[in-house]
Amino acid sequence: MTGLLRRVRDESSQAWAITVKDIRVYYLTPPMIMFGLLMPFFMFFSFSVKREMTPGASLARLLALITFFTASSAGPVIIPLERRTGTLDRLLAAPLSTTTLLVAKSLVGIIFGIGVAMLPLLASVLIIGVNLQDAPLLIVSMVLSSCAFSALGLLFASYPTQSPGNIMMPSTLLRWPLLFISGIFIPLEEMSSWARALSFLSPLTYAQDLMIHATLGAGVQAVWFNLAILFLSFGVFLYAALRLQNWSRRLGY
Amino acid sequence: MDEKIAIRVEGLTRYYGDLLAVDHISFEVQRGEIFGFLGPNGAGKTTTVRMLTTLLEPTEGKAYIHAYDVVRQPYEAKLQLSIVPETSNVYDELSAWDNLIFSSRLYRVPIDEAHRRAERLLDAFGLGDRKHTKVHDFSKGMKRRLTIAMALIHQPKVLFLDEPTTGLDVQSAILIKALVRELNAAGTTIFMTTHQIEEANELCDRVAIINQGRIAAIDTPERLKAAFQSVQSVEVAFDRLEPTEGEQLRKLPGVNTVEKRGDKMRLYTSDPPQVLSEVIRFAEQHRLKMLSLNTFGPSLEEVFLRVTGEQVK
Repeated sequence: MTGLLRRVRDESSQAWAITVKDIRVYYLTPPMIMFGLLMPFFMFFSFSVKREMTPGASLARLLALITFFTASSAGPVIIPLERRTGTLDRLLAAPLSTTTLLVAKSLVGIIFGIGVAMLPLLASVLIIGVNLQDAPLLIVSMVLSSCAFSALGLLFASYPTQSPGNIMMPSTLLRWPLLFISGIFIPLEEMSSWARALSFLSPLTYAQDLMIHATLGAGVQAVWFNLAILFLSFGVFLYAALRLQNWSRRLGY
Repeated sequence: MDEKIAIRVEGLTRYYGDLLAVDHISFEVQRGEIFGFLGPNGAGKTTTVRMLTTLLEPTEGKAYIHAYDVVRQPYEAKLQLSIVPETSNVYDELSAWDNLIFSSRLYRVPIDEAHRRAERLLDAFGLGDRKHTKVHDFSKGMKRRLTIAMALIHQPKVLFLDEPTTGLDVQSAILIKALVRELNAAGTTIFMTTHQIEEANELCDRVAIINQGRIAAIDTPERLKAAFQSVQSVEVAFDRLEPTEGEQLRKLPGVNTVEKRGDKMRLYTSDPPQVLSEVIRFAEQHRLKMLSLNTFGPSLEEVFLRVTGEQVK
């Protein structure tokens, strides 16, 4: 095995060890439960009251909300907490690259996002009997959305501070506008032209449109376009998080 | 690079904004050495350790761990070292065993070997019977021991200990010092920061004293003491001593300064024999009975205070 391949294998194993450790240590912490588990359900039910939506459309929006809030909540909770307790230094001093570390941290959010989203998905299909138009596409969209939103969370988390509060509050405030312009609450086809133009700025727009394609069989934008934007968002957010993380380290955080 | 050198530091410098934390320091640590890094709080000890362990980028200068540049070859450098920070950084939600196994996975220790080492380390650190207890139930001393055990799971060549015994109970501190000696005897190079002078005196082959970001002195503890002959002293205890007589002690020939230490008077001098005879004459003149009379070489603490600019009173 060449040196590079061996290093990729080794770092993958290290990344997985970090992910499993984070799942065990942080999934049941109050901020993760509050921001990652309860918030998307509260938001969905508060905005769905007295609105007429088909079960398929409701499911698509709920899944988009969950992947958005749940996957993006892990980074802002875990990284500042680890900075404060000094456990991040343990990871940074280990023989692995910062990229591997961030991939490990993003996996925590991805698994959290997919895991929580599976609950309403299974309940909708098995109990309510929602008929999915394209189940494989729904799974792909959940995975890709979780990847993009988890990387977004990492981007927030890489800001140089040791206080989780300094990241949690601003990251929540920044996620609200992305949510409101996304077409989750006002369907894209009912938006004015300027509002729809604005909605293109939010990655959540593409996630929920993709999920509507999967549940109802028809969305506003092309499937490939949504997939490409989400994939690009994942790469851009992860790269930006890496740069910000390196900058934080140069500052001494 | 010389194969006997474990750590080489050349002009290492670190600014935090406009604040100069570490100012062009240079030194070498030999393989198998216990090297003490002494300094008051804020002197730059932790910043230096963070740079040497790749956690912080230097503003200027170079540092090598076993010939690997910590900036250009951090991956290789990290394989050689381990760090025990000042604050125990264990995962409270995991058991001692899980903490150790996680650490072994970070350093890719094969699982069977990791289990063997974890058992051995837990026993050596007196944690064997608590290995499945979650760490949040541990005392500060137990967490400290576990932090050190985690740092040793991959058998590093160079171990950085940042204030290893600060704030610990006596039992844990003694255990950790004994382990430092054992590790060193097994060939591990130890770089330890401390502000506990006696600890450095007891453990270290050489010490560097850092003050305001600069290395103020670097040598073996005994040579450092010998370089400060003016802080030799004569300590005397009388059966009684009037304040006016105490003042007269200060004026004895050869005495630099006098310090009251409980019921004893310590007279600092560069010529202890002269001061000894003067003290005996003084006792006879004032009809004082001497309860004890001792001479002392300079302590490392006094050397430390001298080089960091504080006066020995």
